[in-house]
Amino acid sequence: MSQDEYYRGILDRISDAFIGLFVYLISTIRKGWREKNRSRIAEWKLMFYALNRSPPGVIGLFLVTIFVFLGIFGPLIAPYKYNYFPIFENSKTYLSPPGEFFVLGADHFGRDLLSLLLQGARTSLVISIIVILLGVPAGIILGLIAGYFGGKIDELIMRITDMFLAFPPLILAIAFAAVLPDRISYLINTYPPLQQFLLWLFALERTEGGNLSRLLAVMIAMAVVWWPGYARITRGSTLTEREALYVESARAIGLPSSKIMLRHILPNIIGPILVYVTLDFGTVVLTEAGLSFLGLGATPPIADWGRIVYDGTQFFPNAWWLIIFPGFIVFLDVLGWNLLGDALRDVLDPKLRRSIEFKVKKVKKSKTKDMEIKEVEHE
Amino acid sequence: MSLSEAEYMVQENSRTLLRVENLKKYFPVKGLFFTKGYVKAVDDVSFTIEKGETFGLVGESGCGKTTVGRTILRLIEPTGGRIVYEGRDVTKFRKNEMGWFRKKAQIMFQDPYSSLNPRQTVFQLVMEPVKHHGIGVDDPEDFVVELLELVGLNEGHLYRYPHEFSGGQRQRIAMARILSLKPDFVVLDEPTSALDVSVQANILNTLKDIQEDMDLTYLFISHDLGIVKYMSHRTGVMYLGKIVEVGESDRLFEEPLHPYTKLLFSAIPVPDPDIEKSKGKIEVQGEPPSPINPPSGCRFHPRCPYAKEICREKEPEFKEIEKNHQVACWLY
Amino acid sequence: MSKKILEVKNLTVHFYTYAGIVKAIEEVSFDVFEGETFALVGETGCGKSVTARAITQLIESPGRIVRGEVYYNPDGERLNLLELPDEEIRTIRGNDIAYIFQDPQSSLDPLYNVGYQVSESLFVHGRVKSIKDGIKKAVNILRTVLLPDPERRVSNYPHELSGGMKQRVTIGIGISNDPRILIADEPTTALDVTVQAQILWLIKEMKKRYGVTVILITHDMGVVADMADRVAVMYAGKIVEVAEVTEVFKNPVHPYTQGLLKAVPNPLKKIERLETIPGTVPSLINPPSGCRFHPRCPEISKVCKEKIPELREVKKNHFVACHNR
Repeated sequence: MSQDEYYRGILDRISDAFIGLFVYLISTIRKGWREKNRSRIAEWKLMFYALNRSPPGVIGLFLVTIFVFLGIFGPLIAPYKYNYFPIFENSKTYLSPPGEFFVLGADHFGRDLLSLLLQGARTSLVISIIVILLGVPAGIILGLIAGYFGGKIDELIMRITDMFLAFPPLILAIAFAAVLPDRISYLINTYPPLQQFLLWLFALERTEGGNLSRLLAVMIAMAVVWWPGYARITRGSTLTEREALYVESARAIGLPSSKIMLRHILPNIIGPILVYVTLDFGTVVLTEAGLSFLGLGATPPIADWGRIVYDGTQFFPNAWWLIIFPGFIVFLDVLGWNLLGDALRDVLDPKLRRSIEFKVKKVKKSKTKDMEIKEVEHE
Repeated sequence: MSLSEAEYMVQENSRTLLRVENLKKYFPVKGLFFTKGYVKAVDDVSFTIEKGETFGLVGESGCGKTTVGRTILRLIEPTGGRIVYEGRDVTKFRKNEMGWFRKKAQIMFQDPYSSLNPRQTVFQLVMEPVKHHGIGVDDPEDFVVELLELVGLNEGHLYRYPHEFSGGQRQRIAMARILSLKPDFVVLDEPTSALDVSVQANILNTLKDIQEDMDLTYLFISHDLGIVKYMSHRTGVMYLGKIVEVGESDRLFEEPLHPYTKLLFSAIPVPDPDIEKSKGKIEVQGEPPSPINPPSGCRFHPRCPYAKEICREKEPEFKEIEKNHQVACWLY
Repeated sequence: MSKKILEVKNLTVHFYTYAGIVKAIEEVSFDVFEGETFALVGETGCGKSVTARAITQLIESPGRIVRGEVYYNPDGERLNLLELPDEEIRTIRGNDIAYIFQDPQSSLDPLYNVGYQVSESLFVHGRVKSIKDGIKKAVNILRTVLLPDPERRVSNYPHELSGGMKQRVTIGIGISNDPRILIADEPTTALDVTVQAQILWLIKEMKKRYGVTVILITHDMGVVADMADRVAVMYAGKIVEVAEVTEVFKNPVHPYTQGLLKAVPNPLKKIERLETIPGTVPSLINPPSGCRFHPRCPEISKVCKEKIPELREVKKNHFVACHNR
């Protein structure tokens, strides 16, 4: 009756082992956790099982894991500092091609491109996280309220959403980049702990405090245009979900609307939202790189993929590596998030997940063990 | 429980638990700019339910029986009429009185596949009502296990999710969740229509047992005459938002009076080929009309084989034909 | 007794899934005689619909017909339907063997009016030269299925019709090519009782008028009692009992049939307490050994766990698959 009887490939065994380790760690801290959460653990295993059925999804997960890892540890493993300019010591490092001084070549300050890309991984990860943390919860809450209550409230929220959607994000970003930096730098300078925290987040040196504000201005501009999408999808899912009987059942025991929305509806619609978030991680990276490429956002010496390309355009095609490598990195990052997001669509939907369970086995194993799904216990 | 002074108190027969008076629920039909009309889902429905009995409500889809059940619990706000529960008018309840009512009156839904939140474990599902109402429980696990055993599940099911259960078991979980509040009154909205016959019999028997053990009163809503007859002491037959006949189940099923009830009885296939193949079938005319613009007079007249002139013009009143057997028809 | 128009022999259908092989039906055999109404009864997941679909190879991946033969015996011929190539089985489907499905909502295309849809089924099987010609015939067909005001209704779209009317249209499409066999898969489950009565009456009428053989799939014992001449009771992918309808209701032999009949509340009888069948329907991935009913059976013996019971004739024309009878 256990689901250990699935057909399992090497990937499934790796993911199972991973989950097993995680479960072991939790259950050493909290006694009895494993017993109470058997079903949840089985569900996790099934999620990975479903993900493992989709090769692009696995590749996506792999890429995303690498980029998240680089985002966290990149600045630490980078061979050189981003604000170390070799050109002052050796003028030959100026635009040196790959292999001459550095593996991936150097920019016009003689900086090591590899180090810049590693540092840039942190920049793009932090920006994506902040934009999504600022934009998504707001969108979800507004979408929940609009969808659950409907009527005039819905109308009001959604029309405001439409207004935001109609606003061109680029112009907003340019405007914000022009207006906000001064105020932000004032704010940051008045609260040194905040400044230190942000510098730590971006793995920047103290001296770069002044450059933070432009980056932040672009992030805020992006967050402002980011939430309407979430308000829309949340509202849509809420509309269908609020008709579900368990919502009515929650009302029948007297739960207030706020609890019904947060405890009952939200957990059941979070799947598609998470898919969207995953896809958006890629989109934010792309948008941010695009804005930096236009000269908004990150300013040198802060390492940013978009900015490297922007600076590299002056020396193209001679210094091709300044365009090709960062471009390729952005491509891989965005591709990773998108592949993962698409695969998660199946993984996070409990119904689709089960239907994957029942899909035909394309590769017929000669020794098909009689496998069983978790069977419902006899009544 | 403190009730507001303005509360309308009714001199009540002490055995009556619930009295529904002229209950109405109209759903607006929206046009582009204006309301085009109303679906009169429930129109002037009155009945009483006594303590400890099962009152059956039977009718075809769209007759408003489900809406009645939900309106009584104020899951849908009534358009008009009164719902008197233990002498207090539910429609006038405010927040804290509703809190009390939500503990007393519960509902069990038709579809066990959607009535349980798929993200909650059985333990959470059963504990949620108790937690919300702040009822003190010594040992939550013991409390839940006790309830599960009452409805025919066991301790091993405690930390599982709904999708791991069959339809019948899910209905049992739903039962445990409802019973956790120790209610007096439960609306059973087609509790077995999504289940197979062999499972259905199990659930019906469990419901009957629990009713005796916990002294519950049921409003049993179903389209299946066989089940209603089996479960309920008294039965009301609904057609297009109106109750057309009410009586003690044994009497009503033996000798239906209203032509619609007769039609329903003749239309339902009985699991007995001798009766089925020999019984005279009433020719059924047409299909149930739309409740948006119901027919004038008696709503059944366009399909009624005995329709007279008066049926088209005037709505029939409820008449007591014999003791505890009322019918709304001009024939009587 | 009239001739066998359909013989199903050892039909086995499996669904190949990641979770395992779902043995949806296993070694199902029965005969259908010309002109009768043959009912397949059983609970959800017992394989009755799969059986009906497998007859004309209507099984889609991941399902596969593993074994078995289905002989269709029109005048003088004997065709194994499971061996026919795609084009030939398509001409038989709809032409000789027609289906009516449970949900009239989804069996009609919402984008075309009903006249077009009836006419199309005539056109596909070469009964009319063009869809336009077919419309006139469609009116007649819709008149025979008692759709009120057929001249006007042909130009209606499915959403403009009620559930009962839609089911009349699907019946019309079903009978449009004068099929020999009409397979009705839960034709009235989605309908109200009064409408159900009308539709059942209509199917009987069509049977009388066209002499069509009806295979009725249902879970409702009442509908069986009303319609069927002979009944096959299915449980967990196997046929457990086949007999004439009165035999099944008066002298059920298999413990499952007995239990099923006692579990249905009869509105005309006073029942103190319903008898129940303990347990639930087993998983078809790992069905119980031997007789599939044994874990729930009240009179189980040792052999039940070990050996799969064969269908045996216990009385004339009364077949039961049980070791203890």
